[in-house]
Amino acid sequence: MMDAPATTVAHDHDAGHGHIKLEYQPGLPLTNAKLFMWLFLSTEIMFFAALIGVYIVIRFGAPAWPRPHDVHLVEEIGAFNTFVLICSSVSIVLAFEAAKANKAANAKMWMAITLVLGCVFLGIKGYEYNAKFSHGIFPVGPANSGIDPLLKGSLTVHSRIYERSDLYYGSALRNQIEQKVTRINKRLKPAPTADDKPAEATDTAAKPAATIKTDTAADDPKKPKEEKKDDYDIVDTLPESVLQEALNDFTVVQHQWADRSPPSTIQERLKDNDLTSGKLAEVADLVSAPREPGETAEREDLNEKYPWMKLPLLIPGGNMWASTYFLLTGFHAVHVIVGLIVFGLMMRMTLDARKAGFIENIGLYWHFVDLVWIFLFPLLYLF
Amino acid sequence: MSVPSAHSPSLAHGVSGHDDHGIAKYIYVFIALCVLTGMSFFTYSRFWPIPNEHVKWAFMMAVSCTKAMLVILFFMHIKYEANWKYVLTIPAGMMSIFLMLMLVPDVGMRGRWASEERQKHMAVPLNQDEAVEAGKAPRDANSTKHE
Repeated sequence: MMDAPATTVAHDHDAGHGHIKLEYQPGLPLTNAKLFMWLFLSTEIMFFAALIGVYIVIRFGAPAWPRPHDVHLVEEIGAFNTFVLICSSVSIVLAFEAAKANKAANAKMWMAITLVLGCVFLGIKGYEYNAKFSHGIFPVGPANSGIDPLLKGSLTVHSRIYERSDLYYGSALRNQIEQKVTRINKRLKPAPTADDKPAEATDTAAKPAATIKTDTAADDPKKPKEEKKDDYDIVDTLPESVLQEALNDFTVVQHQWADRSPPSTIQERLKDNDLTSGKLAEVADLVSAPREPGETAEREDLNEKYPWMKLPLLIPGGNMWASTYFLLTGFHAVHVIVGLIVFGLMMRMTLDARKAGFIENIGLYWHFVDLVWIFLFPLLYLF
Repeated sequence: MSVPSAHSPSLAHGVSGHDDHGIAKYIYVFIALCVLTGMSFFTYSRFWPIPNEHVKWAFMMAVSCTKAMLVILFFMHIKYEANWKYVLTIPAGMMSIFLMLMLVPDVGMRGRWASEERQKHMAVPLNQDEAVEAGKAPRDANSTKHE
């Protein structure tokens, strides 16, 4: 530190006794900025050590934990992101070396490369997040899953992760299949009385949406618009051959369900909805086949085959997985964003030798971000 | 000894004078990091010879620690810094190790035991015999209540 107290470091013996030469010496031979960057990184180490520690406790204490393929994690993408971050670490260190040598143009070029690589990392992360969201994987449970969500709101509507094959899952699955099959039937065999232009029903998507409008929402003028929007996108834009195939497959599922003799007591009903026995287990296996431990290959189930059906997912341990995944990668992504903002600001500066200290400090921060990812990648993608 | 200026380049990047190694050093570290990432990825692939998961995890963590050391030593210049580095890194390192040690009971208890209440709400119901064998449930059913 620069403002350390004066210390007596040398006696000038030639000048005689009693003349002590006072010299100033820093307490630590580094700038305040660098010292406090290191102190800040120490607190960051604690922060991420706590997060990763909690993840390990939860992960290894969980009775069930999804395999990466169950939750649509692609290891290659994670490995590529690791590579991108390593490249960015090299580029920022080269920016620092260039600035030290007073080569401002070179330093700026390496800084720009770092900025681009950081954006690539975030872009890939965004792509991964989008893949989770489009599969209904959110860090909250579905509204009717029996899990009391901490965050009540729109996320619970979109979330489709069910932990167990129980009554909640069964009813959600049944409702969704019934709703979609009805929709498909309306598309393939439009009701002649429902609307005034039956001839156009098959070639335009707006038509079936209009048929529903007449059924449900005659009173409320806002309702039909919403339903039209929802159903328009999902079923009405698909080719009829796909719909016909889906209809055949899901008719089998519905028959399988219907074959079941109705349980007389609540105990029987509960037993019937157990994952390990009963009809629901068979149906669940058709729709969302849980993978065996160690099985990494993709298995064709109805959920994989018809993602647009948006069927409830059966992922044991899936909710806790989603919570920890989004927490860890989210905090890491926030750190990446902060780094990118600083890089962006630095692009306006002349990165010569006077700025070398600044580049070194942001470089330390960026290497730390890389360091966290070095541990997150195997823990989240490969364990 | 003269008073060094806060803006002098020599202080701005430390007083170690390690510049003679040049850029080649960073390239070597970069290649080592890529190879190590490939190694942890290889662990996950089907060509990995040892099926035991614990061996895999230990190997991957060892690889990660090696990568972290490379980044800290070379990219963060700790290898070339003066002795002040110990003032910062040793306390932070000790705190992190304590934090991990404090989590050991949690890992042990949650990993090896499951209370009756927890078993009831488990995503996958445990088969009692398998659970006892795997050490996830006690042999005596009554003892679960005391947990």
